[in-house]
Amino acid sequence: MNAEAMLAEIREANLTYLMLAQALIRKDRAEALYRLGLSEEVADVIGALSSAQILKIAASNMLMCRFRFDDEAIWNLLTSHGRDKEVSGVHAAILMSSQLAGGQGLATGLAS
Amino acid sequence: MTARQKSVLAESRDVGRAVELIELGARLQVLESETKLSRERLLRLYKEVQGKSPPKGMLPFSTDWFMTWQPNVHSSLFIAIYRFLDKTTELEQIDAIIRAYRLYREQAKANGLPEVLTLTRAWRLVRFFDAGMLTTAPCTCCGGHFVVHTHELVDDYVCGLCDMPSRAGKTRAAEQRERLAA
Repeated sequence: MNAEAMLAEIREANLTYLMLAQALIRKDRAEALYRLGLSEEVADVIGALSSAQILKIAASNMLMCRFRFDDEAIWNLLTSHGRDKEVSGVHAAILMSSQLAGGQGLATGLAS
Repeated sequence: MTARQKSVLAESRDVGRAVELIELGARLQVLESETKLSRERLLRLYKEVQGKSPPKGMLPFSTDWFMTWQPNVHSSLFIAIYRFLDKTTELEQIDAIIRAYRLYREQAKANGLPEVLTLTRAWRLVRFFDAGMLTTAPCTCCGGHFVVHTHELVDDYVCGLCDMPSRAGKTRAAEQRERLAA
């Protein structure tokens, strides 16, 4: 891939990502935060971008999205070809969601 | 006048919420506790949405169900999603439950698992957490958070997925599915 083509691919990926993120945020902010793994502040910024702004941001030589999880256990589960595909899938989902929630084993209730 | 207008608004929100809950399979007790609509209206709504009368009888009240292997996996996934929504958004509790339940169902489906947790169970689970009867403990092996009884000793807790019992998930229904697939 030459440099020109690479930049075009990055722009394409940025554009697709930003448009999807914005659509999700505008449809249901709470769900979008879970799906995208963004902070509320960033979600608000992306939700309010104009098309011109999105185009401008997308035209960068850097990708605007990155991997959300750097936990080796999660990657092992996601890439495992073990006998129980379903089980490793749901195990990974629990680990990813637990990390998002930052869930310490609180002794008391969730709400309040 | 304003008070009345407000109550009309609140009522329409309640109706919308009730319809959403009925569509997701909530039992009448959930609707009664989460909306201010009368029992009669809820019954009528239920029949309109589901085309049949709601099931009668009491809700399951035991925390033990959440400790068995398959339900524990599903409950832990649901509660992790719920916690995230509860922490990061300003949603009212029932709306957070509804959204977390939808996301849980999606995840289960994407992984080819049956929906073990019903909305009523999920709602119950959050109640048990609020009442301090259930909580989560981190697995010492994978670091994920899993549903446990509040006063259980969890210093060296290992989850049911890191240490799978040999017959884990082999319910009669699962065996039947396997036989059909073979």
